[in-house]
Amino acid sequence: MGGSFDPSLIFNSIPKLLPYLHITIEILALSVGIGLLLGILIAMPKLYHIPILKEIVTVYISFIRGTPILIQLFLVFYGLPVIIGQLGIDITRMDPFYFVIITYTLSNAASFAEIFRGAISSVDYGQTEAAYSVGFTPWQNFYRIVFPQAFRVAFPNIANTSISSLKDTSLAFSIGVMDMMGRGETLITATAHAVEIYISLAIIYYVVVLIFERGFKWIEHYLNRYLVKDELSM
Amino acid sequence: MIQLTNIHKSFGKTDVLKGIDLQVNKGDIISILGPSGSGKTTLLRCINFLEKANEGSIEIDDIALDVRHATKKEIVALRKKTAMVFQSYNLFQHKTVLQNITEGLVVVQKKNEKEANEIAKTMLAKIGLEHKADAFPSSLSGGQQQRVGIARALALNPEVILFDEPTSALDPELVGEVLDVIRKIAKEGITMIIVTHEMNFARDISNRVVFMDGGVVVEEGTPRQIFNNPKNDRTKQFLRRLVPEFTYEI
Ligand SMILES: Nc1ncnc2c1ncn2[C@@H]1O[C@H](COP(=O)(O)OP(=O)(O)OP(=O)(O)O)[C@@H](O)[C@H]1O
Ligand SMILES: [Mg+2]
Repeated sequence: MGGSFDPSLIFNSIPKLLPYLHITIEILALSVGIGLLLGILIAMPKLYHIPILKEIVTVYISFIRGTPILIQLFLVFYGLPVIIGQLGIDITRMDPFYFVIITYTLSNAASFAEIFRGAISSVDYGQTEAAYSVGFTPWQNFYRIVFPQAFRVAFPNIANTSISSLKDTSLAFSIGVMDMMGRGETLITATAHAVEIYISLAIIYYVVVLIFERGFKWIEHYLNRYLVKDELSM
Repeated sequence: MIQLTNIHKSFGKTDVLKGIDLQVNKGDIISILGPSGSGKTTLLRCINFLEKANEGSIEIDDIALDVRHATKKEIVALRKKTAMVFQSYNLFQHKTVLQNITEGLVVVQKKNEKEANEIAKTMLAKIGLEHKADAFPSSLSGGQQQRVGIARALALNPEVILFDEPTSALDPELVGEVLDVIRKIAKEGITMIIVTHEMNFARDISNRVVFMDGGVVVEEGTPRQIFNNPKNDRTKQFLRRLVPEFTYEI
């Protein structure tokens, strides 16, 4: 590419990229938020041994874990309109942003489901028995006793998955979403300086990740408030 | 009043309870003794359906159930009449001591928060842990946790409190404080069924002692009858092993 390395371009590009950061954050917030709810649902069949559904979610989770997110993105982007088209609904012109949300939600949900499954089974069953003995229904026991504790156990892994997902959102531009990456590509074309722009992007992603990590640590600290110190070090 | 009739329970092919009958009157304090594996825990757990018995009927107050046909609703109704104190305390780890006690009052008994807090504070005073109201269970000693477990059960004002070896997970020096709390609430006329290996405690506190072995009630009677004048050979053998200085009248 043209020209010698121009450090000033790194700092000049950042303000041009930042206005697109909210797209990244939106993709992340929606796909993690909906993914968490979906993840809880997907964890249920395996936890409570619901036949058939259990097999379906097992295949689903294993498929998502075993395939690259970029391919999942293309499968949803090209595949979903075909499937929905069978129903006579045309979504080929839908904003690619939504395909990204769908893909990342499905992908996060699979990871979250496995995280929740482990976390929920880690909560001592004695507390469930205590809740039942007091007269709780299974649902009351789940949302008042088991889930809050499982969420604490799950949280560090949820945070890690979310941060990976944040970085993965940089693939969204490959189906035409104008996020920071997309904007970066146009800047590269306009300036003919690739390395500087990629450095700017790296700086922005890195800072955002650091901020998220900080926030997650703070939440984790809050969630752990009822543990004594030696349990924490376990 | 509580009436258990012909309770049978098996796990796979092992018959653990082979037709238990037990009548408990209001205010009774019943100790259940028996060797390990005789089915004491299983019997307690069948009473509140933590374990579903295979056969038999359970009557508590105005509820009468054939265990085979009990619906979920009936089971919850029955559980509301009973409370349980567990060997391993089973406190809600993410709730404070006070919240452990109010939880059932608010969620199950639909009391408002203020009323629930007041009841909980009265209970905490009873077990001598007012100063720990806002502590989390993990910061308490085993003895303190079990006292909270007792307060949690007591707060529900149940027809009966079921104790499953409430002191056997405790360090010896903590057993006393828990037994003292149980003695204290026993004086209030609350019906209790206590599975225990603390023979002196059982003798002091109960008005009836039930001796179980091999899934059946072998013998029952007043503490005096059971401890001083047991009729059955298995009871004699059990007591001789457990209470070395044990001698009975001939
Ligand atoms: N969930 C279960 N699955 C299979 N077997 C069980 C189960 N629970 C209890 N048992 C068996 O039932 C029998 C009676 O157990 P239970 O716990 O009621 O005895 P226990 O009288 O309370 O003994 P301990 O004094 O040791 O507490 C034992 O042989 C035990 O192995
Ligand atoms: Mg037992």
